[in-house]
Amino acid sequence: MISLEALFQPGQVSKREETMVVYSRDASRIQGPCQGVVWPETVNDVVRLAQWAAETGIDLVPRGAGTGLCGGATPQNSVVVDSSRLRQIGAGEIQSKKVMVDAGVPLDLLNRTLRQDGLFLPVVPGSHRSATIGGMIATNAAGLHAVRYGRMSNWVEEVVLVDGKGEVHQLTADDRKASLGREGITGMIVQATLHLTEIPEIRSLTLFTFENLEEMLKQVEELKTNPALSALEYLNPLAAALVGWTARHSVLAEFHGAEGKIRDSAGMANLWGARESLSARLTQAGFPISEDPQFPPDALEESIDWLTTQRIPTFGHLGVGILHPRFLQNDARIAELYRRVSVSGGQISGEHGMGLKKRQWASESFQADVQALKTQFDPYNIFNRGKQC
Amino acid sequence: MLTDLTENPTCIECGLCREVCPVFQTQRQEEYSPRGRAILGYAGLQTLVFYQCTLCRACRAICPVEHDPSGETLRAGLISAGIETEANQLMIANIRTYGNPFGPLAEGELPKTLTCC
Repeated sequence: MISLEALFQPGQVSKREETMVVYSRDASRIQGPCQGVVWPETVNDVVRLAQWAAETGIDLVPRGAGTGLCGGATPQNSVVVDSSRLRQIGAGEIQSKKVMVDAGVPLDLLNRTLRQDGLFLPVVPGSHRSATIGGMIATNAAGLHAVRYGRMSNWVEEVVLVDGKGEVHQLTADDRKASLGREGITGMIVQATLHLTEIPEIRSLTLFTFENLEEMLKQVEELKTNPALSALEYLNPLAAALVGWTARHSVLAEFHGAEGKIRDSAGMANLWGARESLSARLTQAGFPISEDPQFPPDALEESIDWLTTQRIPTFGHLGVGILHPRFLQNDARIAELYRRVSVSGGQISGEHGMGLKKRQWASESFQADVQALKTQFDPYNIFNRGKQC
Repeated sequence: MLTDLTENPTCIECGLCREVCPVFQTQRQEEYSPRGRAILGYAGLQTLVFYQCTLCRACRAICPVEHDPSGETLRAGLISAGIETEANQLMIANIRTYGNPFGPLAEGELPKTLTCC
């Protein structure tokens, strides 16, 4: 049996202790044993690696920037496949507003590159500085502007995937479901063709605060009818206090236009900076466990009320019903949260994915979907074994 | 095989520092990122990877909790453990012996090599 090292150039494989320690975990800080790391530089590298894994039976864990919060990139006696050298950005088709990119391209790098053409990819997760396009497709990321722009599934035209047999698929239309939100269980995403949109000329912000939750949700429904709305971010009183805002239910609304009260760039940067710092501040404040349930609109009031009464700091993308309650380690209330999600008809994973962390909550229908996709794309079970369910 | 969630008390391991780090931009391997150095430091490894840092502190500027996984503290730990790069040892020996980091130089001679950590 050929060794992993013999498949690649010396600089493309590492089994050094330093390498295996840092790749044993992702931003979830869920940890597992790593057998080695490979840095493919071409699609063919990934094909040869998948064929090798199919022969050896070794689990391959695709990894983007390692910013995931559910252990999707955590190895379990696996070889980690790091996409950080798959980083080409193709020539944009400006007229048709499309671009082809490698999976390891970070979102902010892509958008900086596109700026000269007045275009951008508007799906912006909190980890936008480092998050890769491949990881964003694998988790079907939503993020800060989901209320206007939706998820990655709205912006991906084609995905190039290397499956568990080492075959290359160009997934379009309905076939994309084999990659979008599948966290690498069907294979490794290596390239994608993305739709783009124009950068808005004018933005403005308004920060609304409320004592009364019902009143806030009425205002939110009204705001959602405004065609200029581009973000609707919520902080409960506990989260608002942590970023120095008044401890009330707070809604940060962004508009593509001048109707917001704050229009100067410094003022807007200040508010967005506070909002974007929140996740890290909560981790530092002792609430490291981030959940991402998605509630239907009619369940939001009861859910937010329960979270706030329980003194659970919570923020989220209220416009699309995704909340990020933050918990203490081993917090028993997480089970109660997911019981409430299930009863309300919501989603266990709004945008972070299932990974290792939430696989215990996977429904029977979800498990059946995973099994069907595994049979079709990864019959030898070599890609991200044991993830999602 | 899964071990439980373990907390690093200083770095929250979000990975936002990767893209501003000039060393990571060159190497594209996590162990050379500021997050990687922080994980290695927390794991108690004494490794010459800590010298793969320009001390520019771009990571601190971007870090949401203002953590500073720069090489200085980590390198100090290496020195205490008696671990140095050969280049560093030669540079210090040259300074002690010749009063400069380049080694023996004749009057007016320009240095041909520069050793550094």
